[in-house]
Amino acid sequence: MKARPPTLREKKRYILASIWPPEPEPDPKELYGAVLEAVTCLFGDAATARIRPVVISCGTGYVLLRCSRGCEKQLRIALATLTSVGERRIVLHPKATSGTLLALRRKLPPTLPAREGEELVVQYGGKEWSARRYQGQKIDLLEKGIKGQAPVYITQDDIEELACSHRHTRWDTTGQ
Amino acid sequence: METDACVHPWPAGNASVPRMALEAAALGLRALVARDAMPGEYAGVRIIPALIISEPDIRKVSGQIRKRGTVGTLVLVDAGENGFNRSLLAMKGVHIVRNICRTHRNAFDHVAARLAEASGVAIDIDLYPLVHARGSARQRVLHRYIDLIRLRSRYHFPLTLSTNACSVLDMRSPGEMQLLCTLFSLPEEDAALALSTPEALLQPVEPVRVVR
Repeated sequence: MKARPPTLREKKRYILASIWPPEPEPDPKELYGAVLEAVTCLFGDAATARIRPVVISCGTGYVLLRCSRGCEKQLRIALATLTSVGERRIVLHPKATSGTLLALRRKLPPTLPAREGEELVVQYGGKEWSARRYQGQKIDLLEKGIKGQAPVYITQDDIEELACSHRHTRWDTTGQ
Repeated sequence: METDACVHPWPAGNASVPRMALEAAALGLRALVARDAMPGEYAGVRIIPALIISEPDIRKVSGQIRKRGTVGTLVLVDAGENGFNRSLLAMKGVHIVRNICRTHRNAFDHVAARLAEASGVAIDIDLYPLVHARGSARQRVLHRYIDLIRLRSRYHFPLTLSTNACSVLDMRSPGEMQLLCTLFSLPEEDAALALSTPEALLQPVEPVRVVR
């Protein structure tokens, strides 16, 4: 089949959004379903058909999306209302919009440094916590052995403060 | 200064104040109004402590302000019936009236709007239900905010924008907050002004006084 001439093709816009928490990576199909549900729920079927949201690719901490030109603002609003993918809580923050994929790929975050996403085991108050440490002092705590529990979001400073105020507790950080 | 007018750090939420400040800095916010937090600055984000009062009786509200209200703390009070809201807007020490979207439509009318303008008390726009609610619940909130913006176009009372985030996953950037406000026809420049209102509320413009 002969391709349409460029002037007759539909114009598109590409959006780069960050994903938090970056790990584990969401399944692109599930993410597409969540984006579509967010757009349809907010703007309805007719507007969703005009917006045509598509998940192009998905990596550690980022996602590339596509929509029709002129509808990028609506897609960004809908992304702000996306709160979960399946059972997992997630948030997407749009970072950049472009007319070409190439320009967005240049803005992709660099490869994660060694410390990013480092898994630790932390003991506090006789309980064992699974801690994921990110760059910039961020630490996500999840109590070990309890499924479906919401993580506790803290920083390195919080751990030091707690360790000082609770002399009988032990903060052990051992790499897994 | 872009400020989220209400967040709920640990123990009400599941994130510590420093973690919320780190996330806020990454999102481009310059200040956070945090429930029952200590004032300070972390990662370049100013922490403004908030006292949230949820009492159905106006006398109890004034008692709470006397007991717990301190200089540098923003006092946020949950809205109620029409009469309660009018008394609230005339009360000294109240900075922000919140949860308007949970009240009846007549609870905030043109008289209350005029009072809010005269007393400089801000009305909070809670973005949490816009993000988390679906279907008719979100439609009701949007309808309520459209009505509020219609009143504001006439009376120009101050507005604040809050995410009421209990987790870092509920926090939104100033740009996202402004975009969400376009859903109920609040212009982006007015939304930007609303983001800077909390700090202005702590330094109200007072009449000129003769000091000697």
